[in-house]
Formats: sequence, C-alpha cells, structure tokens
Amino acid sequence: MSYTLARYKNKLLERFYKDKHIKPEALRNLKTLESIDIKSKLIDTQYVVIDTELTGLEIKKDTILSIGAVNMSGGTILLGNYFYRVVDPLSCVNPNTVVIHGITPGEASECPTIDRILPEFIDFCKNKVIVGHCVSIDIDFINKEMKRLYGFTIQNPVIDTLKLYWWYKKKRLGYDAFADQSDLLTSSLFEIAKEFGVPVQEIHNAVSDAFITAQVFQRFMPILMRKGVVELSELIRIGKP
Amino acid sequence: MITEDVVSFIKNVIPFQFLREEELIAIAEKTMLEFYPQNTFILKQDGPPSDSLKIIKKGSVKVYARAESGEEIINDYRGEGELIGYLTLFTEGKSRVNVVTLEDTLCYLISKGEMIHIINRHPNIKDFFHQSFLKKYLDKTFQEMHVKSLCTSSSDTMLYTTPVGNLATKGVISAFQDISIKESAEIMTRHEISSLVLIDSNAVPVGIITDRDLRKKVVAKGLNVDNPVSTIMSVSLIKSDVKEYCFEALLKMIRYNIHHLLIVEDGKLKGIITNHDLMMLQGTSPITIARDIENQYTVEAIASLSNKINSIIDLLIKEAAKADNITKVITEINDRIVKKILDLAEKKFGTPPLPYCWIVFGSEGRKEQTFRTDQDNAIIYADPETLAEDEEAKGYFSLFSEYVRDSLIRCGFPACSGNYMASNPRWRQPITIWKSYFSNWINTPKPEAILSSVILFDFRPIHGDFTLAESLKRHLLEALKGQDMFLMQMARMTVNVKPPLSFFRTFVVEKSGEHKNQFNLKFKCTAPFINIVRLFSLEKRISETSTMERINALRNIHDTVREYGEEMIYAFEFISLLRIHHQYKQITNGTMPNNYINPDELTNLQKKTLKEACQLISKLQDMIENRYLLGRMS
Repeated sequence: MSYTLARYKNKLLERFYKDKHIKPEALRNLKTLESIDIKSKLIDTQYVVIDTELTGLEIKKDTILSIGAVNMSGGTILLGNYFYRVVDPLSCVNPNTVVIHGITPGEASECPTIDRILPEFIDFCKNKVIVGHCVSIDIDFINKEMKRLYGFTIQNPVIDTLKLYWWYKKKRLGYDAFADQSDLLTSSLFEIAKEFGVPVQEIHNAVSDAFITAQVFQRFMPILMRKGVVELSELIRIGKP
Repeated sequence: MITEDVVSFIKNVIPFQFLREEELIAIAEKTMLEFYPQNTFILKQDGPPSDSLKIIKKGSVKVYARAESGEEIINDYRGEGELIGYLTLFTEGKSRVNVVTLEDTLCYLISKGEMIHIINRHPNIKDFFHQSFLKKYLDKTFQEMHVKSLCTSSSDTMLYTTPVGNLATKGVISAFQDISIKESAEIMTRHEISSLVLIDSNAVPVGIITDRDLRKKVVAKGLNVDNPVSTIMSVSLIKSDVKEYCFEALLKMIRYNIHHLLIVEDGKLKGIITNHDLMMLQGTSPITIARDIENQYTVEAIASLSNKINSIIDLLIKEAAKADNITKVITEINDRIVKKILDLAEKKFGTPPLPYCWIVFGSEGRKEQTFRTDQDNAIIYADPETLAEDEEAKGYFSLFSEYVRDSLIRCGFPACSGNYMASNPRWRQPITIWKSYFSNWINTPKPEAILSSVILFDFRPIHGDFTLAESLKRHLLEALKGQDMFLMQMARMTVNVKPPLSFFRTFVVEKSGEHKNQFNLKFKCTAPFINIVRLFSLEKRISETSTMERINALRNIHDTVREYGEEMIYAFEFISLLRIHHQYKQITNGTMPNNYINPDELTNLQKKTLKEACQLISKLQDMIENRYLLGRMS
C-alpha cells in the first residue's frame, strides 16, 4: 500500500472511530502519519527501535511477554529514554520459553496486563518511525492486541533492519551473487551485530535486544546516506518488512 | 542496563570520576550514543561550535588545524575516555579545529544544555573546563595517590609485616639470677637501661626486673636491697620468637600489661623489645631518627638506624607530603648519616692534614634522593704547599675515603657503578685541580666531559670546609661565561632522550624482556626534566642545585621558565611523587624498588597527568632544539 493511500485510509479510520468513543491514545496513534513527513531527511527523523519477547510464535495461541523500545533521534541513540515493560500474559507461560527469556510465570503475574501496557507503548511510539529486526513478527502480535483493544492496527511506518541488511549485502555483493546466495545470508540479529562491531552481551531481554537493533540501525545510517538514501520515503521503500 | 553501561564507563572518565554514583546515573539518563564512521568530521575548523560534549567510547580521532599557508598543524590524538568539543561548548564562536575520526568511533554525547546544568552544580567539573590541566588536577591526583597509599601501606600494615626480630634491641644486658637487688640496680644504672634480664647458668632467661619493679616492689615497700633479685623478678617470662610479627608482640604486651618483651631464638635470649620500639614503628618521626643518629658511635648502630628511613617515607606518604618535602627530609637524614660517618672517620684517622670539603652530587647534590641511591661523592682539599704535604694528603684521604665508602655501603648506600666516589683518586683532589677539571670540561666539551659535567655540576658541600666548595662553585659560574659551544653540547645531550609518548599520545613501552609493557620513568621523564632545568641554570649561571630551587630561581630571569615555570613545578612534582609511590609500593610488597612503570596500572587521572607532564618535556625540548641546534647548524 502506498504511503498516500495509507494516510487516506487512516483519515477514514479516524472519522469512523470518532463517533465510537475512541480512546485518546488510539486517536493519537491514528494521527501518527500526519506528523511524519516522508520527505524529511533520515537524520532529522525520530525513530523508536522495538523488540518483543513472546510466549511462542503461533499468533493464535501465543502472547507478548515483554516489550522493549529505545528512542533514536536521527542516528543518535537516546540512552536514558527507553521503554521496558514485562506483561502478565494472562495465559500460562509456556515452560519452554522460560529458558530463553528467564521470565517465570510467577514473575510475569506481578506485572500489569497487556491492556494497560499497550496504551503506554503506543504513546511511547507516538509520531515516530518504528524500527525492529524481523519486525513483522513483533508487529503481528502488537496488532493482535491493537485490534482487540481498538479495532485497528498500529499506524506507524515500520522499518525492518533485516531488510536493510539484505539490501546492503545485495549492494555489496552485486545482484547476481545475491540471487545465488540469498538463502546463505544470516537473519540472526546477533550475527549481524557482530559483523558490524556492535557488542552483544550474554543476557537478553526485550530492551537489550532493542538496544542492539538500534546500534545496528545506527551503523546503517552512514551506509544508507553514502548509497544516496537520504529521504525517509526511500528508507521505507528499502526497509519495508 | 543501558544506562548502567554508561555509568560504568564515565565513572573512569575525567572529570566525571569526581562525581557520586547517583549524579552519574542522572547524567547517564541524559546521555546519547552516536556513531561516526572512519574519516567523519565531528567538528570543522571555522564551522559551527560543538553542541554537545563528546566522550570517546571506542575509536580515536585526530584534532588538527590548518594554518593559512595550508599546512596541517596537529594538536592532538584522542582515544577512549577522552573528550571532544568542550572548548567551543561554552563559547559562541566558531570551531577552531578539525576533529576527524581515524577509525569507526562511538561517542557518548552530553548536550550543551545538560553540560551547563552539570557545571552549575559541580565546581569540580567547572574548574576542569576553565583551567590548564596540570595546575588544576595535580592536587586531585595527589589525593587519589594518597588514598591509594593509605590502603596499601598504613602503619598498621607495618605492624603486620615486620617481624619482631628486626626491631629488637640486640645485645641485651643480662645478669645471673642469684645477684642482689642492689647489684642489679647498679647494673641497670651503669648501662642506662630500664630493665634487666636474669638468666640461669645455662643462659636461659628465667626472669626480668624493670624500673617499675624497683619502684613498686622495693622502694614503696621498704624492701631490703640485699635480698636476692630473684625474690622480686617477674618469673612468668613473656617471650616472642624472632619470627613473630610485631602485632603479636603488641598483643602480648597489652594482654599481660607489660612494657618489655623478651625476644628469643631457639629458646636463647636474642634481644628485647619495648612498647617504645613499637610506637616508633608506627610513627617513626624524622626528628627522632635524626637525633638518634647523632647519638651513635659505631657504623653498625648508624646502619641499623638507616634501615628506618623506609618507615619515615611511609609516614610522610601517609601525611600526604609533597615529593619535594619527602626528598628534602630524606636528604636531611642521609646528610646526617654521611656527616656522622665522616666524624667517625676523622676520629679513626686523626685530624686531616689539610682542610677538606666533602661534596655530594647527582641526586644527592640536588637533594632529590628517594629510596637508597648510589653514593656520589668527592673530596676537595686545600692546595698543598709542599711535596711532603701533598704526599701526606694523598695517603690520608685515600684511607679515609675508602673507610667512608665501605661504611656507607654498610649503611645501605651502594657504591657508584661509574665510580664517582671520593675513593677514586680522580675525585679527591686539591681545589686547583678541581678548577682545572671544570675548566677543561667546559672548554673542550667532548661527550665524556659533558657526562662528567652533568653529574658533578650539581655538587653541594655537606661536611668540612665549605669555603672550598664555594670557591669551586664561583669558578664554575665564572668559567661558563660566553661558553656557547659547551652549552650547545649540553643542549644536544638534553634533547637526546625523549619522553615516552608516541605520536599518537600513547605511552611507549618496552616491547619485550623483563620490563615488557613498562617504561623507565627515571630515564625517560625524570632525567630529561632535570637535564632541561640544569641547562637553563647553566645558561643563567645560578648556583642552586635542586631542580625545584633552580626553577624558582629562574622564574624571573629565564624567558622559558618565566612562561612555563608554574607548569614545570607541577610536572616535576608529579613525576617525582609517582616515582616515590611506585618504589614505595614495591618495597612494601617486598620487591627491590626500580623505576619501571606499567602505564596500564596507572589510574586515568595519573595517566592524563603524566601525559601532560611528558608533553611539557617535549615542548621544552623542542624549544631547546630550535634555539641551539636548528638555528646554528643550518
């Protein structure tokens, strides 16, 4: 869907929800696209780099365990300005994922429910371009909750760092080489981080992984600009999930 | 977790290291992370001023300016933990320099607004951005070093590390247990001792009496003094083995409420230790040692006192004394030891046939001695009038100087490896010969002559007829007049050894061998500094010998010192103190002191201060080179 079309649809949605006592944070999210100028420069754009931890990958039965997000102003990471919430999943945590995240069911139960966290989260993302690694999975789970709570999906433009990585490899290796070897390219955030010299620590949670993603995105900034990608619209084209 | 990383990084960055943890956390929450690929211009000359303070987290930058001629003038290379962009942060003007990344570089950024906020709250940080480095941070470096020394070497640790055997008075006076009270009191009076150990026929100590016993058990009770002493002696003899540590001895004294403790080795009496000895160990004062030296009449006794010099340094370091004061006190004590030994030598060999003056030079001459340093001494004697007088003087001073050399070795002053000692006939000569030595070196400045000048021109009289030394000093200052060739050779030697800073402002260390990753602080920093100041002193022909006194004397008469004098004082003070602390630490760890420093073991503040000091040395060397060598050779 083109950006103009998205904005148009967005307007319609806004009008549609106006009469239905829409929640204020949802209304603010609906206005997101209006405040983002796709003609603006990459370095003048506000980004929010996100990551989620999930109970599993099945959209129907699994849920969000935690959400982390880090703010970036252009290529600059705002270190103190981050978002991290652990969600009470309501349903039982799958014991297999505890091993990965270290969040036990008991621990998560003391945390607020997604119904309280999602409004905070979409306000944190207000008027910013969302960036994430393999971000479509995160967005799918966020949208599941969005639809349940507000009836529509999150409105922010979304950039996938994995797509940026593939684009970069394609530019470097040449198109043909890429065509042959695309399935050999890694999709692991940590391997890409290491390739770009971003330190990867032992312990992972949603916010530390969002921070790693932010640093990877930070390394892409000068590369993008060197290759002539200056405007946000071009970034959206390359980094579309 | 993200901000924790920031805190743990910036708490080692000057000037943030002076802030408390919670203040650092507050700063971390406002900090940003920026990435600059290789060859990025962070600041541009004549471009906008910096809008944030940048702390290099990883990578490095070059700071340079371009002169109107187009020539590139490199100011600095900066790496991890160093700052960018603070000069123009608070001024409205344009950036005066280019800052370009030499590799991919990550920086923590603190915005101008936040920096203003920080500066208004913390005068420490404000000072940092408004003063020259050496001046403003020297005191803090001292404080830091002082605190470190307190942790590693308080007097308490001396108590825990010194065996009682080292402290015990040897050759204890003892008597057989069957003598009377009166007899034992007489023995104590005769030997001026406050306690007497009583032994059985096998020389095993069986009891002790003290002044206190005589007072409490005899005089106060009107006891007959003809009674056997065994009736009043303390029989439950409290003993310590020579290998026990002093704190154990102290514990015993406290537990049994006694002031004397016998020290035994294999059951046999070895010595005695008093609570006074332990107090001396904790707070040995330079004054008591100096007084004690005066009261000694044998080389052995002086030698055992001279071992206490390290505990004086301990005391001075604890009191956070400046290096200048530490070396002055040590010099004073060493001077007294030498004088006392010369006294003993005069007694042994009789009155010298001619008036003489004992001079010292090298570090001793400059009053810059720290821990044990080589002997550097010589004898000037009055010109003999007859051949017989000449022969007599030669014979006398030969035996005399050998005795002094050997006695000083026993007191812990090793012989000079270059044989610059009065025991070498070359360095015990009549005043006229001495004057001709000096004149020859100055008139024919060959490399050996320069070497001798460097060592001997820092001479100072410490004993005998000072007018001889004064006459030689006057001769030296007179002989230097108009001797540009000599000064030029001296300048050449002075710029020969460069401070251990690489082109990239990192420390140059040894690449292999015993001192891998270390550099010789004395050879690379102290000596070049002393040489610079000596050159300036010879240029202006001043008579001072100590580096500090020379700098102060030159401040109103020497152009370079007028401009850099203050920084020179700070830099020399720092280098000297670093050396003293380094050697002191080695001694407390039981290793032989040396001058090898591993820069990685210095704190950031020490590193930074040392770099500034090295840069000052380089700058002064460059000025000397320009003045003497470039201009004249081209």
